[in-house]
Amino acid sequence: MIKKSFLLLILPLSLCVSCIQDEAPNAECDILAVEEAWLEENKDIIIGTPIVQNDRVSVMLKIGTDRTALNPSFVLTEGATLTMVSATGQEVDANGVVRDFSTPQVYTTHSEDGAWKKEYRVSFAYPNMLNTLSFEHFVLDGAKNKYYRWVELAENNVDTLNYWASGNAGFAFTGVGTTPSLYPTSVSGEGVNGNCVKLTTSDTGLIAQLNKKPIAAGNIFIGEFNSENAMKKPLEATRFGLQLVDKKPSTLSGWYKYTPGEIFTDKDKKEVVGMRDECSIYSVVFEVDPKDFVPLDGSNILSSERIVMVAQVENPGEPKDWTYFEAPYKLREGKIFDNERLKNNGYAITVVASSSKAGDFFEGAIGSTLYIDEFAISWKNE
Amino acid sequence: MCMKKIILTLLAVIAVVVAVAEEKKDVTQKEWVFRVAAGYNLGGTAPLPLPREIRSIDGFNPGLNYALEGSVQKRFVGTPWGVMLGLRLETKGMETDARVKNYHMEAVNSDGNGKVVGAWTGMVKTRVKNNYISMPILATYSIGNRWTLSAGPYIAWMFDGEFTGEAYDGYIRDQNPTGEKAEVTSAVYDFSSSLEKLHYGVQAGGEYRATERFALYANLQWGLNGIFPNDFGSVTFDLYPIYATLGFAYMF
Repeated sequence: MIKKSFLLLILPLSLCVSCIQDEAPNAECDILAVEEAWLEENKDIIIGTPIVQNDRVSVMLKIGTDRTALNPSFVLTEGATLTMVSATGQEVDANGVVRDFSTPQVYTTHSEDGAWKKEYRVSFAYPNMLNTLSFEHFVLDGAKNKYYRWVELAENNVDTLNYWASGNAGFAFTGVGTTPSLYPTSVSGEGVNGNCVKLTTSDTGLIAQLNKKPIAAGNIFIGEFNSENAMKKPLEATRFGLQLVDKKPSTLSGWYKYTPGEIFTDKDKKEVVGMRDECSIYSVVFEVDPKDFVPLDGSNILSSERIVMVAQVENPGEPKDWTYFEAPYKLREGKIFDNERLKNNGYAITVVASSSKAGDFFEGAIGSTLYIDEFAISWKNE
Repeated sequence: MCMKKIILTLLAVIAVVVAVAEEKKDVTQKEWVFRVAAGYNLGGTAPLPLPREIRSIDGFNPGLNYALEGSVQKRFVGTPWGVMLGLRLETKGMETDARVKNYHMEAVNSDGNGKVVGAWTGMVKTRVKNNYISMPILATYSIGNRWTLSAGPYIAWMFDGEFTGEAYDGYIRDQNPTGEKAEVTSAVYDFSSSLEKLHYGVQAGGEYRATERFALYANLQWGLNGIFPNDFGSVTFDLYPIYATLGFAYMF
């Protein structure tokens, strides 16, 4: 009898295990990378490493190189395919096909299961050095809960350069950002001139709090936000710097105003009594290997041995009204600015602003608000 | 060796004689029979069939789930039939560790701040521990003096429930498989407050009377409504409690 009973019990369980269904074909359709071999073949015309995001690929080309006939090939999700619209309007295979990149080109990826597709904009752009940064050019990004992303314009004043990044793509996962203005990094029309960037230290909602990411500081920086690391290793998600240095920088200037939030909290969202939030605005120039670009990240942005110069707004305070600042680029002790290295694209630069200076450690005051506008970098002609 | 066989045979004969003798004053010959029973619930709260998104079940812990029951049976004397009404206090729980691929998930920020929506690929650990007061209404059928089969519906009220878990070692894509991708070491969730209170299902089982008043029994309870309301988006397939109970009963 006992045996029979156990058979009775085991029966439904074994039924369950035996009914694992066949694996579905892949639903994802990503461009994972630009083919290694193709990059190797074209290393003489490319600066740094391509930046591959969820719906765009940005490659920097050396000034003076030809981009009217390039045939990039891409590594895709297993089973996915890549197409483009041909001159005759047909959808044709696109991987490794020669195209004119005088303007960014659109590629479409298709998933193995045929249910999903995604458009990528692939650009081969010449670097446009950072001079005036007016924050007037932004686009909406994201799958459903849209957020702002800032761009600079190419020399033709039409094509966009994906130089700016923010943590918005990470905040999208919290579900809190139901409108673009609810994201930590958003647009405000009340700039010194036209629009400005509004950075707000924001509550990430209960689910993110449960998972020890209780706040998100508003931030914007030159570089790349790697959302893949946003939850796992948030300090490595902010990849600071691009190889946009062709002279020696002398001053970072701009306008800002700042109101800190009332209650400063730590990474567990516990109030730290007596602690006042502070904003941060700075720019860093650092050494890179032209053959193997490695950005700085949240763990070493102000401490890396590779840092050559830093321009920082010291003691930014809490100005309620628009306030002008000028911060000189100061050489780090023991460092020199080397013209040989400069010629070989051996320097990268980033500009960073955050509404909570310890926001990368999830410390700050919800509601801290930093407005920035009309940044400019002046360069020395040597 | 030979002696041992003889002794065993004698013991068996004695046992049968005692049993037959006992049957004459059998409690189950009465029109009304009362039972108290204690058992162990073993099973799963599972989608049926297992959806394609579940790639493997790497861990299963049935946990310690009790079932305490009191019931009254009315026998229709002269026929093998009867009816039984029970009241059962029980736990249905388990822990699983499963690998999923492209599993649609939603989690609402319970403070009203939007919701997390995405496609998850990775591991999911689930812990269910629901306490119910159940009321089965059963038809009974006796075969001989020792076997009683029973079957019928039950309704149950969940007075305390836990549905928690952890998504780990994987990645989420925002909204759907084409969205931004983020790797996740560990993300915990708690859907306990969304659990459905009222449940119903069917059960069937058998009882073997080992002595005059003690019986061993086994039941299979098959839940017919999911443990979450139909409009609950976080778990996209219905999860049905399907549990077997194994225990013993005392009759009087």
